[in-house]
Amino acid sequence: MAETTPRITAPYLEQFSHATVRILGKVRQLRGEQATIDANGNIEVRLNRDAHLQLNHAVEIIGKVQNDLSVKVMASTDLGPEGAIDFNAVEAVVDATHRYHEIFYYKE
Amino acid sequence: MDYSNNYSTTSYGAQGGASGGGFLPGSQTDSPSTGKRSYGKDTLRPVTIKQLVDAHHPHPDAEFFMIDDSECTQVTFVGQVRGISTQTTNITYKLDDGTGIMEVKVWIDAEAFADPADPSNQKAKPVEQGYARVWGRLKAFNNKRHVGANIIRPIQDHNEIQYHLLEATAVHLHFTRGPLESLQQANQQKALGNGAQSNGYNQGFDGAAAGTNAGGTKGLAPGASRAARQVYTTLMNAPQTHEGLHLQDIATRANMEMAEAHKGADELMQMGLTYTTVDDQTWAILDV
Repeated sequence: MAETTPRITAPYLEQFSHATVRILGKVRQLRGEQATIDANGNIEVRLNRDAHLQLNHAVEIIGKVQNDLSVKVMASTDLGPEGAIDFNAVEAVVDATHRYHEIFYYKE
Repeated sequence: MDYSNNYSTTSYGAQGGASGGGFLPGSQTDSPSTGKRSYGKDTLRPVTIKQLVDAHHPHPDAEFFMIDDSECTQVTFVGQVRGISTQTTNITYKLDDGTGIMEVKVWIDAEAFADPADPSNQKAKPVEQGYARVWGRLKAFNNKRHVGANIIRPIQDHNEIQYHLLEATAVHLHFTRGPLESLQQANQQKALGNGAQSNGYNQGFDGAAAGTNAGGTKGLAPGASRAARQVYTTLMNAPQTHEGLHLQDIATRANMEMAEAHKGADELMQMGLTYTTVDDQTWAILDV
């Protein structure tokens, strides 16, 4: 697994295409091997066998952004009911990650 | 020390009663005060793992690392546990916070480890793929870095991850761009000077950096040391004549040591922000 997984939300997908990223979002839809995650916009994710997502839970996904801007999941962590997570703070972290990337990831 | 020596060497002939008081044999060796290192100057800084990986080690034996050009001893961070390996003397955790991966070693107290009733065994332990917070010291060993941790504990509330990353960012900005208060001041002054110019969150920090360097309202460069900042603030705020303040006066008002205040004052002079007046230990602010 990549050593650095920048935290992103839906608007950053294009910028990070083919990169391994970290996304914290709300599970909106489950369709077998696919799911929709809301992280400041909807993201289609392709699940692996170990992923156990639950509707309306917050989930953190580490995955690779594909050509079609869907995300192939490599690992997922359930963070409990989405109401327990302050998504304003999550948004602020993503903002800080890219604004002050010197302490978060190496930019080519 | 005398007290305990007397206690063990005298023979009062009342050995039976002696078991009632004093220290338990084991408790003394555990005392943290026996450490040789001085912790007086230690700081505890929230960091990202990337900052630890990038930290500059001044020389191989140095007990501290440099992050953003300031000394850093104790650090704290939050990361996801990627691996746990238990060895005879320590437990090594591999932590990943999205910015990098760092090994964290926690030394095992063998006695406490084996005793299920020990308080340290009652607490929740970090689990694989769970998040944990670490407090410890960055160390370099055979060109490999790890953190020697005093404490590691699992995260209960996942908001702590966001909290930590934002705190680490705030501290990083404090050291690279100066304290928030001075930035806000500079921002306000700039806004006053330039009329109605928007200073939104987006351009806030850049605007402030420009503001501190702009003419008119002279401010401190982001690289100024803490001592220089303290002296500068004192000179700005303390009531004084045009002769400024004497070193002793500055040190007292800022609650600093004389040597430190002197260093700060010298630094300000070199930056051209102050000048000496009646003697070479009395400074006034230039251009006020």
